[in-house]
Amino acid sequence: MKLRIDSDPAKVASVRHEVEAYCQRIGLDDKACCNMGLCVNEALANVICHAYHGEAGRPIEVGLDVKDGRLTITIRDWGSGENPIAKLNHKHDPMTPGGLGMVCLRQLMDEVVFTPQPDGMLLTMSSRCRHNGCSG
Amino acid sequence: MVDLKTASDLVSSARQEGQTVVVAIRGDIDLHNSTELRTELLDILIKTSARKLVLNLEQVPYIDSSAVAVLVELLQRLRKSGGKIVLTNLQPRVRGLLEIARLDTIFVLVANEAEAQGK
Repeated sequence: MKLRIDSDPAKVASVRHEVEAYCQRIGLDDKACCNMGLCVNEALANVICHAYHGEAGRPIEVGLDVKDGRLTITIRDWGSGENPIAKLNHKHDPMTPGGLGMVCLRQLMDEVVFTPQPDGMLLTMSSRCRHNGCSG
Repeated sequence: MVDLKTASDLVSSARQEGQTVVVAIRGDIDLHNSTELRTELLDILIKTSARKLVLNLEQVPYIDSSAVAVLVELLQRLRKSGGKIVLTNLQPRVRGLLEIARLDTIFVLVANEAEAQGK
């Protein structure tokens, strides 16, 4: 599945819902569907706030694919190219704002990779399907 | 008890009981509207000088990290004056994110508004 949106915060919820619906269709259990939706939500928020610094109307592409029992989600932006992981403290302080989105990704996904592009960033995150019968 | 007027649709009701303010929030809170919620709750705290903020989240199915940041900011503000935040009626996804953020032990979490009175 491929989705293309612009960097409008109002669009994040609809993508989250589409991701959760996709995860349901491929047979993930309810908790896994919610977790994947949350990870995409946080990744998109990170792109909007940090890669695009809140600028509206910039493109974001979201891709989802399931193969050999593994769900892979990609998020491509054409922003600043900063790697959010590099800015993240090793130990998350719950009372310090910021960084929670990346904490979610690291806790809920098996693998999170930021690949710098000549004109932005490609985030690839994947998780083994925790399911009621993941198809693909 | 005094009912408070609010400007945001995200707040379904708000009332003051002495130094406690009880606010019921509704809807998903994410990057799109967390700033609106922040403005509304800060306005309530400033107007009332409350030291205890009870947030009823029964009608909040989902929050993201931007909403969590608002809660943390409010808690830091209240703590400076010896205050606290009590969260009630948490739905599973909301509780789940608070656990990931390790805030489930920092906020006071209770089942309902009645329990919040004694906290």
